[in-house]
Amino acid sequence: MIQTKPSQVKNVHPFAHYAERILAGDTLLPDTPENVIEVMGALDSYGIVLDFYSINLNHVADTQFLNLFPIFKYFDGEINPGRMWRHFCHDRINYEYAEYTMKAMMWHGGGGMDAYLDTDEFRENCERAIAAKIKFNPVLQIFHRTFPEFLIEQIRQLCYYSGLGQFWRVMSDIFTSLAARYRNGEIEHIIQIVEHIKDGLVADAARPITYSVDIGGKMYDILPPSAGLTFLVDTAIPYVESIFFRGGPFLGTVSYNAQAQQISPDQSRFTYGALYADPLPIGGSGIPPTLLMQDMFRHMPDYMEEHYMKTVRQLGDVRVKICASFQRSMFCVTNAALVGLLPKGAGATEPDDIQANREFLMVWMDRLTTSQLDTVQTNPLGSN
Amino acid sequence: MMQSLIELSWLIPLYGFIGVILALPWSFGMVQRTGPRPAVYINMFMTLLAFLHGTFVFMGIWNVGAVELQVPWLQVADLTLSFDLDLSVLNLGVMELSTGLSLLAQIYGLGYMEKEWALARFFSLLGFFEGAVNGVVLSSSFFLAYFLLEMLTLSTYLIVGFWYAQPLVVKAARDAFLTKRVGDLLLLMGVLGLSSWAGDLHYNEMYEWVKTADLSPLAATLLGLALIAGPTGKCAQFPLHLWLDEAMEGPSPASILRNSVVMTCGAYVLIKLQPIVIVSPVGLAALISIGTVTAIGASLVALAQVDLKRSMSYSTSAYIGMVFIAVGSEWPGVAIGLLFTHAVAKALIFMSIGAIINNTNCQDVTELGGVWSRMPATTIAYVRGGAGMVGLLPLGGFWALQLGIDFLRRDHPELAAVFLVVNILTILNLVRVFRLVFLGEPTPKTRRSPEANWLMATPMMALSVFVVLLPLIMMRMALLPPLRYWNPLVFAALIVSGVIGVILGVMTPLNRSLSRSTNKNLRMMQDLLSNDFYTEELYKVTVVFIVRQFSRIVSWFDRYVVDGAVNLVGMASLMGGEGLKYSVSGQSQGYIFTIVAGVSLLGLLMTWAMW
Amino acid sequence: MLNALLLIPLVGALVIGCWPGKLTSERARNLGLVFLGINLVFSLYVLSQFDLSITELQFRESIPWIDHIGLNYELGIDGLSLPLLIINSLLSLVSVYASEKDIRRPRLYYPLLLVIAFAVAGAFAAQNLLLFFIFYEIELIPLYLLIAIWGGAQRGYAATKFLIYTAISGILILASFLGLVWLSGSSGFDYNPTMAHGLPWIQQAVLLVALLIGFGIKIPLFPLHTWLPDAHVQASTPISVLLAGVLLKLGTYGLFRFGVVTFSEVWVDLAPYLAWWAVVSVLYGSLAAIAQTDMKKMVAYSSVGHMGYVLLAAAASNPLSYVGTVFQMLSHGIISALLFLVVGVVYKKTGTRDLTVLRGLLNPERGLPIVGSAMVLAVMASAGIPGMVGFISEFIVYRGSFVSFAPQTLLCLLGSGLTAVYFLLLVNRAFFGRLAITEDRMDEQDPVLPVVTWQDRLPALVLVGLLFVFGLSPSWMTRWIEPTTTAMYDAMPIKLEMSSAHLASPLANASMANCSDGDCAL
Repeated sequence: MIQTKPSQVKNVHPFAHYAERILAGDTLLPDTPENVIEVMGALDSYGIVLDFYSINLNHVADTQFLNLFPIFKYFDGEINPGRMWRHFCHDRINYEYAEYTMKAMMWHGGGGMDAYLDTDEFRENCERAIAAKIKFNPVLQIFHRTFPEFLIEQIRQLCYYSGLGQFWRVMSDIFTSLAARYRNGEIEHIIQIVEHIKDGLVADAARPITYSVDIGGKMYDILPPSAGLTFLVDTAIPYVESIFFRGGPFLGTVSYNAQAQQISPDQSRFTYGALYADPLPIGGSGIPPTLLMQDMFRHMPDYMEEHYMKTVRQLGDVRVKICASFQRSMFCVTNAALVGLLPKGAGATEPDDIQANREFLMVWMDRLTTSQLDTVQTNPLGSN
Repeated sequence: MMQSLIELSWLIPLYGFIGVILALPWSFGMVQRTGPRPAVYINMFMTLLAFLHGTFVFMGIWNVGAVELQVPWLQVADLTLSFDLDLSVLNLGVMELSTGLSLLAQIYGLGYMEKEWALARFFSLLGFFEGAVNGVVLSSSFFLAYFLLEMLTLSTYLIVGFWYAQPLVVKAARDAFLTKRVGDLLLLMGVLGLSSWAGDLHYNEMYEWVKTADLSPLAATLLGLALIAGPTGKCAQFPLHLWLDEAMEGPSPASILRNSVVMTCGAYVLIKLQPIVIVSPVGLAALISIGTVTAIGASLVALAQVDLKRSMSYSTSAYIGMVFIAVGSEWPGVAIGLLFTHAVAKALIFMSIGAIINNTNCQDVTELGGVWSRMPATTIAYVRGGAGMVGLLPLGGFWALQLGIDFLRRDHPELAAVFLVVNILTILNLVRVFRLVFLGEPTPKTRRSPEANWLMATPMMALSVFVVLLPLIMMRMALLPPLRYWNPLVFAALIVSGVIGVILGVMTPLNRSLSRSTNKNLRMMQDLLSNDFYTEELYKVTVVFIVRQFSRIVSWFDRYVVDGAVNLVGMASLMGGEGLKYSVSGQSQGYIFTIVAGVSLLGLLMTWAMW
Repeated sequence: MLNALLLIPLVGALVIGCWPGKLTSERARNLGLVFLGINLVFSLYVLSQFDLSITELQFRESIPWIDHIGLNYELGIDGLSLPLLIINSLLSLVSVYASEKDIRRPRLYYPLLLVIAFAVAGAFAAQNLLLFFIFYEIELIPLYLLIAIWGGAQRGYAATKFLIYTAISGILILASFLGLVWLSGSSGFDYNPTMAHGLPWIQQAVLLVALLIGFGIKIPLFPLHTWLPDAHVQASTPISVLLAGVLLKLGTYGLFRFGVVTFSEVWVDLAPYLAWWAVVSVLYGSLAAIAQTDMKKMVAYSSVGHMGYVLLAAAASNPLSYVGTVFQMLSHGIISALLFLVVGVVYKKTGTRDLTVLRGLLNPERGLPIVGSAMVLAVMASAGIPGMVGFISEFIVYRGSFVSFAPQTLLCLLGSGLTAVYFLLLVNRAFFGRLAITEDRMDEQDPVLPVVTWQDRLPALVLVGLLFVFGLSPSWMTRWIEPTTTAMYDAMPIKLEMSSAHLASPLANASMANCSDGDCAL
């Protein structure tokens, strides 16, 4: 980024005032009663859904290790006719969305985990586990010899299953405790929500991210503690980068046609993430987040439903509305993360420190210029 | 048991449609709280049912011989229309092929579209496809085939337009529908002609009629051309080929079917019509020219595509072009062999490239690379699909091509040469894409690409095995020539052409950037091919322009001449400007006045009658 | 029996009109629904009692009325009028159902709708020329008022234009009827297909031309059509449904009933020119529709085009094409009613019908997905996709007229292709893409359309059902029509020679070439 003088930045940059808001201890999302209901409703249901997702991701990572036909991977080990019938009726959580997120995170990479997956140490860990796993499987042995990266790439994917599962475990707990506080009447303002999330993130920042599997009664380390992977730097930040900012192009709105060149060849320039997405096409074809909205819809708290019932279409367009609310809540999470990451801390008083904080924020404001930040400043969608 | 299964064969095309109807609550969003997957399972089950039923009927008639099934539909005045089915070994074989591929594509589709919420609509459309294709293939009545072909046009529109919020999809769906519709309308003209002159639309009766038909040369020519127009549109042949390129905007599982089953279905109708097209030598010549132009042209265009799906879709056009040549030179056996082997191999290739697109969010071959070691099923599928399609190894495509070359070289050596050239160009393209996508160093977009999920990988592996076994099946169905007819010269020519293709493919320098050549002539050639000979521009300045201008003229004429004259008269008339204003005023008196005036006018007229 | 079909709506009109005490809009609507519901049930009862083996008129009612001028109350139905009667009963019920629940002046509105149902039923059943004419005229006045009071901004202009046009139409028809009775020396106005037989060619020709222009306005045929787009655009949705679905059919019905057999000597001579007229009308309507940006206007012009097929089939004068004539009337009735219904829902929810601003209405959450799907099916039916009723009716028309007039038929086929063009433009623009209802796309608020209720959807879904029922099983329709049309054909003293069956004329070739050129335009 080009070095610019603060006064110029202030005047020139269209989003400078948002940075000033954060510096002043204010929030990105305006503090209105509607916003509090929407954000809390979204985070409340999101916390429940993330709990399911996290359990399942960890289940897949731990019990479906190199299972090439994981037919029952969404059953969390509970394989019985009742559960099968509910799966047949699609009366279940859409775990596909969790995998979609996992794949996006893996594809975009970034952070210590991504780097570790390319080390020789990781490869050795894998080889040990693979050797144990396919000891009695000559077909896979041939495959492994002919296509040496095949199984290793599968394990890399399992690392992301595990990593995202551990990350969402923390997030789910943060949101669930926040929802409990809200029900107790402790939460009345957006700033309290931001504070709660920030505190949660900071508290778990150094939590180690590890992954080991049980093969034939013996534990094999895939991501050993010695790799030094931690929650904030190696999962949270790559997650925000790849899911909030970059994302992946939706087939329902973007053409993959190479000649049309709608998708940038450079992934770092992608802006398909949660902070940029247009909520209106949700529910249509080719829009994967619809799955998440459906899951949240099925776990929507009563106060959120009451709030939505006041709108024109009531529950008729509920997925679009949940997406809009969800986007608002994600700006609160972003807000919390930015405050938590301020180089000189949130309570900085020295002008130089404030200036350093401002410059840090402006880099992010640059990236947010094309996001929906401006849109969420107005009244919630469809509540008029 | 077997007898009643045969008698119930009319159900085979219906299973697909029944699935569509059963899935309606989900496709229309009536089910809100739970997801759309039951609709998926219903449609898959129906396809499976059609496949099993077909298998039993196939076994039933294997020894008995073909059975004709009467399904009367409409009898009015001198018009008799029926939905009769012809359960012959060949028809059932093609039907089993299409149903089997459809089933595999659906399983694959469930994996590919796992993050899709509109699954119910998508699978209903696939069920619709499957039902209509089965009906076309089994029909013994041309009317039924036409009926279903047009329904396929609609389902193409809906399935290409599946992601209807995406601008290029919208355009693609429109173009696919309108282009196919051009062919359909010309075909309808042919249907009308045949129905009026032959009086019966059953293939067998029409074949009889052709022998004694007394048509003027002009009528015969027009009939022949009308009949080949429909398949030309359906099979994306020049000049109605552009829609296939655009249709690649649609979902990959549908592209698998489009490039294999649907094309086969269109060409199959052409094969059945061939004995009628022979009334017109011009028609046959047109078939050969369309086929030749498309086979060579599309093979060249494919070489210049940077889009993974499009480079393969042009190769589909090229192969069906060879089918057209075979039909035009009256070798239906060659045509069927080509169709059969191409359908299986191309389905496999499309499954493979779908897996890559799903992993990388990218269809641009210049941004891909180095996935082979991480995606074994996908790589095997691509290699087997490619090998099964072309003439190099003794897989299906080799036998189909050598049969064609062997037959064609006697009367039309130049057409045999076209087959060889297409073989070279196809291999060149396949090798080019293989090197770009599978070999080389991983790119940022392929850096992390684990093998596709099991729902996608399993159909790929199953079909890979089938491709290898295909020559045995062909032998069983007597589609391979007996040993004594093997011609070493033809074999040698084909293998040499294949080797040339591989060598060219390996030697060609690959350019991973999009930059165009610095050599002016080469650059023009490159642009010409990558823009598909500027066909779209050609459409724009001809037909689109004409229709648009005509509609503007008519609209202007309507507004200023027809309506203008009326308003002029109205102004001058008794109830002119002022009168109009009164009745607009909204006063009840005005209306009552009008009623009174109307009634008295009526009375006046009636009393006048009494005089 | 038929009396009841006329009386039920008439009594309904009187009851609603003279309801003692306060009558809310909703209650008036319910009353209308009750009466028209009974009417529909009764029509279906008539259908069940109809004897297919009789080609003569059935359920005859005959009451002498004003005997000295030859005006008698003569009713009767055959396979030509029966299906039209049913569709009238159905669509009038649909139009009342689709009316706004809080319509202004319900005491006037619903009776007027019921009077239309009454008059149209009367016209389809009347077997006395003067009686037919009276019913034909009666229907004008309520329709005029319905447009003039409940119409759009330009309603006065449109209503007056409609009135002037149809009044002229009425005068011409009356003149022709009077002339026919007078010249044939008939004792009264009771209709008899052989009335004109034996008259000099020129006299017949004059009478027929008067009928052609008179009914041609109603159908409408180019260049007599300009009242129709205006009337449709200004009329409210239920009125458009009735107008397109039933009232236009009065024109083709009248022409077919009173023109073809009666004046068959002249008809056969004029037939090639009539077929060309049909071609012009079809292509004109289709091309004009392409240029429209108002959805309703597009559908209205499409109506002009598709009614041309009826004339083509009637001109072709053979047993098959006559079945096509009636079948096409019915299929157009269902399809155009459906199209207008759906356009009406779109207008009601978005406040606009402008194709330059509407986008993405298929959006499953915020848009009109079910109504949109009905629209897709309706336009596909109109474009002649098999499985729906539009295909088989047009196929019968084409197949019937091909043996008589191959070149004209092939040119009309071009109209089918153009239908696909304009309707695809409509669907692609308004229903595909990202949802928008105003020009200003980056509006701060995304559009929130009102909820689509089952009242909006139900009539459309019923008609969609009919599209498929008769599209998949057309014999359920043709079995009623065929005996009558065959009898009509047999009653023609002179038949049209099917000379062009073998593409002998050079015109045939030219037209084929044109088609292939023009078609590529699509």
